[in-house]
Formats: sequence, C-alpha cells, structure tokens
Amino acid sequence: MRLDRRQFDLAALTVLCGVLLHATHFPLWLSVAMTGAIAARWLQRRRRPDWGKPPALLRLPLTLALPIIVWLQYGNIFGLDPGSVFAVGMLVLKLGETETPRDARAIATFASFVLMTALLFEQDILTTIYVGLGVIPLLLLLRALEPDGRDPAQPAARALLREARSVLLNLLAAVPLAVLVFLFLPRLTAPLWATQSVPQGKTGIGDSMSPGNMSDLFLDDQPAFRVSFVALAPPPAAQRYWRGVVLWRYDGRTWSRAGGGPLDPGRQELRALGPEVVYEITQEPSRQRWLFALDLPTMDAVGYSRDEDFTLAAARPIDKPLRYALRSAPRYALGGLDVQQRRRALRLPEGFNPRTVALGREWAQQYGDPQRVVQAALDLIRENFRYTLSPPPLGRHAMDDFLFETRAGYCEYFASAFAVLMRAAGIPTRVVIGYQGGYWNETGEYMVVRQSDAHAWNEVWFDDRGWVRVDPTAAVSPDRIEIGSAANAAFNRWYGSEWLLALRNHWDIANRLWTQIVVQFDELSQRGLLRSVGIEQADWRELGIAFALGMGVLAALGLWWAVRRAHDDADRVDRAYARLCNRLGRYGFARAPSEGPADYLRRLLQQRPQAREALEPLFARYLQLRYARNDVADAAAREFARAVRRADLGALHGS
Amino acid sequence: MTAITPDSPLVLPSELRTRLDRAVAQVNSVVLGKAGQVNHAFVSLIAGGHLLIEDLPGVGKTTLAHALAATLDLSFQRVQFTSDLLPSDIIGVSIFERDGQRFEFHPGPLFAQLVLADEINRATPKTQSALLEAMAEQQVTVDGRTHALPAPFFVVATQNPLDLAGTYPLPDSQLDRFMLRISLDYPSREAERELLTSTNRQELIATLAACMNAADIQALRQFVGNVVASPALIDYLQALIGATRSHADVRIGLSPRAGLALLAAARAQALLHGRGYVLPEDVQAVFVPVTAHRLTLGGGGQRDRVAVARELLAGVAVR
Repeated sequence: MRLDRRQFDLAALTVLCGVLLHATHFPLWLSVAMTGAIAARWLQRRRRPDWGKPPALLRLPLTLALPIIVWLQYGNIFGLDPGSVFAVGMLVLKLGETETPRDARAIATFASFVLMTALLFEQDILTTIYVGLGVIPLLLLLRALEPDGRDPAQPAARALLREARSVLLNLLAAVPLAVLVFLFLPRLTAPLWATQSVPQGKTGIGDSMSPGNMSDLFLDDQPAFRVSFVALAPPPAAQRYWRGVVLWRYDGRTWSRAGGGPLDPGRQELRALGPEVVYEITQEPSRQRWLFALDLPTMDAVGYSRDEDFTLAAARPIDKPLRYALRSAPRYALGGLDVQQRRRALRLPEGFNPRTVALGREWAQQYGDPQRVVQAALDLIRENFRYTLSPPPLGRHAMDDFLFETRAGYCEYFASAFAVLMRAAGIPTRVVIGYQGGYWNETGEYMVVRQSDAHAWNEVWFDDRGWVRVDPTAAVSPDRIEIGSAANAAFNRWYGSEWLLALRNHWDIANRLWTQIVVQFDELSQRGLLRSVGIEQADWRELGIAFALGMGVLAALGLWWAVRRAHDDADRVDRAYARLCNRLGRYGFARAPSEGPADYLRRLLQQRPQAREALEPLFARYLQLRYARNDVADAAAREFARAVRRADLGALHGS
Repeated sequence: MTAITPDSPLVLPSELRTRLDRAVAQVNSVVLGKAGQVNHAFVSLIAGGHLLIEDLPGVGKTTLAHALAATLDLSFQRVQFTSDLLPSDIIGVSIFERDGQRFEFHPGPLFAQLVLADEINRATPKTQSALLEAMAEQQVTVDGRTHALPAPFFVVATQNPLDLAGTYPLPDSQLDRFMLRISLDYPSREAERELLTSTNRQELIATLAACMNAADIQALRQFVGNVVASPALIDYLQALIGATRSHADVRIGLSPRAGLALLAAARAQALLHGRGYVLPEDVQAVFVPVTAHRLTLGGGGQRDRVAVARELLAGVAVR
C-alpha cells in the first residue's frame, strides 16, 4: 500500500519540523541543503508520483556521503553537534525513500527522537514550546496512518480538522502523565551524559581576552544571569560592575589568567567597610567555570572557590542553570601586595608595543604620582579616542597601532592599552572581564544581565588604597556605562514603548520561573517537594511506588474514559432525556422512575395540552433514537441534545 | 395511543392493519368494557402464545373465547374439561378399521386452530398434561405416530380460581405454557347495564362475521419477529427480569423462557398499536399477565402474585 498524498505531506512536514528545530545550531548551508532535499522530494512525489522512490544508485551514495559531510564539517562524527546533524540528515534521507505506511511510521518514530534532541541544546521555554509544536505534525501523521475512521469522500481540510482535534485531545490527555513522570521519576544527581561536552558556539565570558573576541557577545541579547537583591538596594547603574575573571598575563596580543602557577586563595586580606550587598544570582549555562560578583565578594559561595584576586569559579564548567548566593563589600580595605603579585602585575612581554611602553615610562617620569599618571591616561583617551564596535584591524604592535594610529575601539582595546601603559609606568595593573550594567525588571524585582553587557576594565594598585577599579572605556564613552551596553542603547531607541517594555519584563520573568522550576528541578528539588507533602526521605523505592500508583490511577482513568466514550453516543441521548425530564420536573411534572416516555408524554399533554407543540417533536425524536433502532447515529444524538437544550418549555406554566 | 407515530422501520400492509383493527373492535363490541383483556387476548394470538383466562364462573370467560372464535376465521373446537375426561378424549384415538384392516387415527377436538379448553382445572393432571404437552410441541404422538397440529394453533383455556372445590390446580411448571394469564373481573356499572339491557351475547356472537383468517394471523406472527427491541429496551427488560429474581417475596424468579415470552408479548403489543419498535410501555402493558402466574412466591406471606408483579413493575426505573 502506498501513502496517499496527505499522508506523505504530513511525513514531509514532520521531517521539516525536525530540520527547523535544529537549524539554530546547524551551519546555514546544511539547513538550507536539508530543506532543499525535502522540498525536492515533496515536489517529485507531487508532480511525478509514478517515479516512486529514487533508485538505490542515488540513495546509497547519499547515505554514505552523510557521515563524510559531518566529518568534514566537524572533524568528528561523535558528540552533540555532529550527532544531531547525522540524526537529522538520516531523517531527511529516510523521507527520500518513504513510500509505504511502514516507512512513514519509521519517520514518526525517529522524528520523535530527533525532536527531543533539540532540548539537549536549549532548554528555555521557547525551545520547549517549539518541540511541543513539532510533535503535532508527527502525531497527525500517525493518526493519518490509522487504517480506520477516514472517509475518503470527506474533504481533506475537514478530515485534517477532525484529526487535529483528536491529536490535540491525545496530547492533552498525556499532560497528566508527563507531570507525573516529571515529578516522580527518580532523578540523577549527576547527568547521565554531559550534554555539553563539546564547546558551543555560544559562550559567555571566557578566561582570556584578545581584541575582537568579545564582539560576538555584544550582539547577543541572551541573559547571562539574573540577580535578586536580598540586602541593600541594587547599586546605581554606574556601579554595576559584575566581576568575572581577573587577567594578569599579557603576551603582546592576548590577556590570560595567570603567568606562573596557580593563584593561592587567602593571600589577599579583605575587610568590608560599611554594609555589604547580599544577593542571589541565577546564572545561565556558560560552558565556563566563572561566577560573577559585585566588588568585592567577601564570602565564599558554598561549593565554589575564590582566588586571591577574588575570581570565583565553580569546580566544573557550568552546563546547566546555577543558583548561588553572594555577599559583596562596595567599600573595602585590602591587605598589602606581595612581591610576587607586584611582579606579575607589572610584567610586559619583550619586544611588543615599543611606543606605548615609551609613553608610559615618560609619564612615570613626568608625573611621578601614580594617580596623576592614571589621570593622564584617562585624559588622553577621553580627548582623542572614539568608541566603536567595529574598529579597524591592528598589526603586530597592536597597542601602538591602537593608541597612535586608529584610536578607535571598544572596552577590550581600552582596557588592554590602559593596562600596558600603566605597567610601563610602573603601576601594578590588571585586566578584569565580566559584565557591566544590568536591567532592572520592576515587575519581577530582579536584575537581568545580558551577554551584550559583557565588558572589560582595569584594576590599578595604589599603595594607599589597594586595588581600585578604573574603567578607561567610561572616559571615552560615559553613556556605555550609564545606560548600559550598546545593545541596550539600541534597544531604547527602537522598542522603548511602555507596553513592549512590560511585555519584555514579563517574558523574562516567565523564562526565569521556567529555569528555576522546570529546568533546575533536580533530586534536591524533588525531595523538597515530596517533603512538603509529607514524604520525608524519598528514596528511589518510594518514588517508584508513588510513580506506579500514579500510573495506575492514570491508567484506570484512561480505561474508564475509553469505556465511557464507547457508550458516549447512547449516553448522550440518555443524558439529554434526563435533562429534559429535569426541566419538566421544575414545572411540577416530575417523571416517576418507572414511567415510560410515551406514558409520560400522555400525562403531560393531558394536563398541559398547550405544550403539545413543544413536547411532541422532542419525545418523538427521543423514542426514535432510543427505541426505534439498534444503533445511535452520532449526529442525531447531538442534534437531540441540542434540541433539548434549546426547547422552550414556557407552555408548561399553569394556564 | 398517543399521536406519536415516528417513522417505523416496519409497517403493516394497510389491509392487514384494517382487518386487525376491525377484529379487535368486534371482540370489544361483544365483551363490554374489557378492552385491556381483549388486547391481551390478541397479544397472545399474535405472539404465538396461548391464553389462560382465570376467573369466577359467569364473568364472560367463555364469551370472550367465543367472540374470538367468531371473529377469526379459524377452525374452532370447544372442550369442556371434567374430572373424568381422558387424554384420548381430547387428542384422539386410533381405531381398528375393519375395511382397511388397520388402525386409523381419529383426531380429537384438539385438532383445531382455535381450541377453547373450558374449566381446564376440573380435569385430572393426566389430561391437563396431555393438553399442555400438545400446546408446547404443536404436535401429538399417538401409538408411535406423530400428528402435527394445525397452524395457527391457539389455545384459550379458562379456569376457576383455585380455592373452589373440585379442582386440580395446574402446577407452576405447566402454567408456564401459557404466555398470558388474564382475569376478567366484574364488569363496570355501565357495561353491566348494557349487558342487561341489550341482546343476548350468544345471539350477538352468532351474527358476527369473521374478520381475519389463518393467513392473516400467520402474517402477523411473521411481523412480530421484526419489531425492533433496541439495546435500551433490552436493558429495561433485563432490569425487570433481574428484579423478579431478587425480590424479597419471590422465591423463584422469571426463567429465561419467561423472559423470551415477555419480549415476544411486548413486541406483539407494539405491533398491535401500530409501532415497529418496542417501548417500555409495551413491556409494562404485558408484564403482569405474562409474569404473575410464573412467579413462585415465598411460603411465608399470603401475597397475591399480581400485586407482587405490579410492585416489581413500579420498582424498576425506566432510564
């Protein structure tokens, strides 16, 4: 048996959904090629159905080519990205040879797996909704493959509507089951497989900085993390510096974490002056270890390490949303800088940026006082430089080119040049990368920091004040600091209207709740939930029992429903008649339980002859439906029910 | 009945319909004020069952039977049951024929299409059994030879109430052979007055012309089988049967055969009223005459079977 046109269309749509769901992380050309393959096959099936499936001579090379393409693209056929391309590609190829219901079933089965794998890449609400929507054509396909129930004479649109209705009903019926599984299926403390073993294209702040590598982030509107404040109000816009990684080592091009050896924690003494900010951060997966904190974190976040330069790091890369509480001192006193640290904060690579180094040395002699040197550098930047997200390229002596030639760039350029200048002038300086800014969500009372808020700045050591934050970018582009990121500036321009802002706020809240309640639901949350309903120590056995009980109840309900449905149409007549009797009862003509319908009508008409017109057709139809035939037609039953609902029984009032 | 006449899957040919209606009317014109009982007599006739009329002497049992016989163009025999009546007196005997040098079967009065068995409980159980067996099997066997009874074969039996002297009460198992048992009761005041003032009933019957013949009855019996009993109706029927089996005063409830008889009677009732399908009212109309004589009540109470049957009927809801 061959698939008819509609069945094949649904199969093609199912495959297309699989491709579209994965398109976000596929190379563009692959998505286009796959969509094209689907379209070509669809057109061929429509225009030249007599051709059947392509010959093996064409199918075999294509099948063999797929792993080769994946290998060429990724250099590997294992791992998440190559694996997904491979799976989706197989699905598309399967459509190529799909001719029979059996093929279509294979498509539906495998497509459900392919759809599910999209959740390995993203787990936010939208992706979940997309995956949910992608399931619909799949179920429609399965429904269309059912041998029964379809009247070939019925117009396709009506048939589709009817099938869609039953599919949606089925999906709806599956929701309790899904909730049950979500709540009670024993959770693993650690994931069974690392979903993000391969570095993703989309990452947060890295652990190094070279000119240009942040520019992607500026365009990325995704939230990096969200902050809710427990004690003290959120800091003013100009003070929202979220420290990420402190970079010490410079090799002429790239700033990286440290030159020699690991950094010992606890070498730098920190004392808070005045009240501390207490806040909680929910960080999106970043595939990096770094956590973010305001200046300067006084307390270790539980389970995470704090280095001497107050860089906070998790033990493993953060590959799922992470929540942690922190405490920071906006005003603080630091212990002294030891020799080794001072040396590291002054080191410059040999043979790079000679003009910059010369300028720094000149300033050191000219001003002497480090504070005045800093001021001179900021003045220089303020007067002669331009902030741009698309700076001209730089040569080998990057900082020389930047300071004396191009004089245009963004935070990375400024932070880097400033640090080189200061170090040349003998002032210990380091680079800090993190986020600057944050958007306060009034409705949800929390702050969103987006990837586009990524920023780089410096910390300069003054012997009397300790490490002091200096942001050279602020000198050239104060707006960047006051308003927030460039993206935020653009955002203010083009969708600044109130309601859009509110919409955005609410959407962000929804995302946050989704992350906190659904994505982060792990063994701990599960225990917490069960404890709140009185199950103290929920081990897998109790979970299993709860799960089995729930399944049993659901199965019983489902069975009951199915059985009930079988009698539904007969019952519908019954219920409608009961309703009619009820209504008549309200006029004082209750039916005796053992009174048959004809007797009942006779009694009614004896007492209220004027109701003949209203009652006779109803009763006639009821007798016809219930007693005059062995089966009840669905439509007639509905019609009777409707007639009973609409019947005007006013004539039954006493005359 | 009511004005409800929805399209019926089954329609009697109009001539047959007319003849049936005229027959019913004619019997009613003789047996005054007993429309229900006349109706039941016709139910029994159409459903292919036999009728037992039980009442005091002189209330019109025999008149009803005679009126039926006169209205239906059937061969008619009347047998007056007495305590010395022998089985061979009703079935017939084999007599040695001198001419043919062999035994020849001489059919008894049972070989008629309509048999009136008057005062059936005056005969001995042996004779009663012979009659009831013939009724059940539609045939008699004499000297090893089987003789089919004519078709249609319709027995109307009358009996006096059991507490009268000189009777042999029919055992329950044999009462079961009668599809319906009815009683006539005293006539109403108006009916009795007319009875007293108008012509003698016997003379009236003699003037009647037959309205229906054997073929009509056979045709009606064919149609009865096609009357629709919907699943809902069967539900109701089963509920009724079930109730007889669980009622406190009933020792033995209805048998499956009684259930079949009830359904057949209800179908005939529906057909009689021009409907191609059975309503709960049809079942209710025939329930008491079909079931009362089949119920075996518990020993303790001195209850009337008819009252129990009515109680059963009222206790089962029509859904």
